Amino acid sequence: MQGFALYPFDPPGDVAALRADLRGWLAANQPRGDVVKRANCWASFDADFSRALGAAGYVGMTLPARYGGGDRHPLERYVVIEELLAAGAPVGAHWIADRQTGPLILRYGSEAQRQRYLPGIAKGELYACIGLSEPGAGSDLAAVRTTARETSEGWRINGQKIWTTGAHLSHVILALVRTEEGSERNAGLSQLLVDLDTPGITIRPIIDMAGHHDFNEIFFDDVLVPHGALVGERGQGWKQVTAELGLERSGPERYLSSHALFVALIDAAGADPEPAVAGLIGELTAEIWTLRQLSMSTAAKLAAGEDPMVEASVVKELGNAFEQDMPRRVQAIVTSGWDDASDLAKLLRALLIASPSFSLRGGTREVIRGIIARGLGLR
Amino acid sequence: MSAAREMLCDTARAVLSGATDIAPVEEAGFALLLVPEDEGGFGGDWSDAHAVLHIAGMAAPDLPVADLMLSGLGEVSLPYRAAATVSLMAGAMGQALSLSIDHVNTRQQFGRPLGKFQAVQQSLAVMACEVAAVEAAAAAMAARLDATGFDIDAASFEIAAAKLRANRAVGVVTAIAHQVHGAIGFTREYDLQRVTIPLMRWRGEHGNDAYWAQVLGRQVAGLGGRGLWESLTARTG
Repeated sequence: MQGFALYPFDPPGDVAALRADLRGWLAANQPRGDVVKRANCWASFDADFSRALGAAGYVGMTLPARYGGGDRHPLERYVVIEELLAAGAPVGAHWIADRQTGPLILRYGSEAQRQRYLPGIAKGELYACIGLSEPGAGSDLAAVRTTARETSEGWRINGQKIWTTGAHLSHVILALVRTEEGSERNAGLSQLLVDLDTPGITIRPIIDMAGHHDFNEIFFDDVLVPHGALVGERGQGWKQVTAELGLERSGPERYLSSHALFVALIDAAGADPEPAVAGLIGELTAEIWTLRQLSMSTAAKLAAGEDPMVEASVVKELGNAFEQDMPRRVQAIVTSGWDDASDLAKLLRALLIASPSFSLRGGTREVIRGIIARGLGLR
Repeated sequence: MSAAREMLCDTARAVLSGATDIAPVEEAGFALLLVPEDEGGFGGDWSDAHAVLHIAGMAAPDLPVADLMLSGLGEVSLPYRAAATVSLMAGAMGQALSLSIDHVNTRQQFGRPLGKFQAVQQSLAVMACEVAAVEAAAAAMAARLDATGFDIDAASFEIAAAKLRANRAVGVVTAIAHQVHGAIGFTREYDLQRVTIPLMRWRGEHGNDAYWAQVLGRQVAGLGGRGLWESLTARTG
């Protein structure tokens, strides 16, 4: 990684019109509700909103029209998701399916899988969760122990997944499982697409420190799924998952999780802020402007078919640090009680509590820094 | 990068590598880079200037290359000097990172290269992120200056953001570069101080952190919370 050159972000079509249309749509359709839902909004689940967004053509945008998608360019989708995140729209229900499960099914899935799942994803009606972590496999993902044995009837799955965000509200899980008996580490793994209403699956909630039910643990007890549940090539699960992770590391959600707080800070400061507040706004602005350049450049590289693994990790590392530090820096400057009723105070408290997760989800800070170090030639 | 800019960079590298005084840089005509062609200059854009100053920050951070280049524009205000300094800083930080990577891959302690230790890897990853951020900020600022025809008012947001971001990176970058080098990096003989001392100086020149944070913060306060996002998206993408 010698020198970071900006890759031109140049989506086709009229981007200004795309933004204007979406902003108009959001003004009419974004739920007012609790301001706190605007914080970390890609974890806010609202199926009605997702369906409406899908009907308006803003979900599954890059999927082919024959599967109900929008046939749009990845950078047009980028513009749409950064607008949704900046507005604090509750995009959590369809987020995983739209961002990674849909594209992965399109790339590796069978024709039957594409026809079965993609139209529902594009409508904003079919939600997916990611079955990677297990009690003994988190950052060490290759330690996966959940097994699937091929029998004459199909695949028999036994094992357990954990930290599965949104499993209780999802229709399908894309699970990484060990299909080759006796295989070790990243060999012998495959991806199975499993309907969550299949007999033998038990989903139990794990309540997080904010009191929210996002996480779950999932038990697979002799779960039988058809042969056709295999996604892509048997034994190539590791390679497919690595590609999937690339899709989720450099997006605008990696630096915009706390954006609602920044908006509230600027609005509360007014047009003539005191120097300490003006200084903080200036510092945060310099960060967000820089991060947006990095994220757009990396998205453009991805869209051009390159594999910017290291750049994506840089975006995630810097973006997570920014969105995680912001509530702490705001609290250090503004006068606001823990239980105050102002929007600023409510967002501040919610994000102080939510932000430890920002550098855990999608790969811990330590793992991400390790990837960057390898890119530097140090490992 | 265009073929013309590649050639410009090749020339800059040839002239600046190992240069100990400004005379050969003057002779190479870099004062004319930003001067329009119809005024007898080379008619380069700001991204050309950025590319040359990036090399200067890497190879000849002690020479007044930015002053020389800006002299072609006559009397210029603080933001022009700040913009030029950001490009120098990006180059110098890139050089500090290169030296650090080379050092930890070469220097052996406890029977293996320093770069094999996770503590060192994690530090250098942090440093690399800061350098990437400054590289991106400098390039985006240059692109904005070109899009506005060097209009310093129209690009004031980007110049403020880029100089502030670069300033804030200096502490992290110089600290980690020196830490991973150990004592050898603290000697006059070794090349690291050739870039870290200028970085320390540039952070305070043409607007330190507090100066640009106030300028930018007051500008954004005037936009309002939603107005900031609208402004960001109207400026790029």
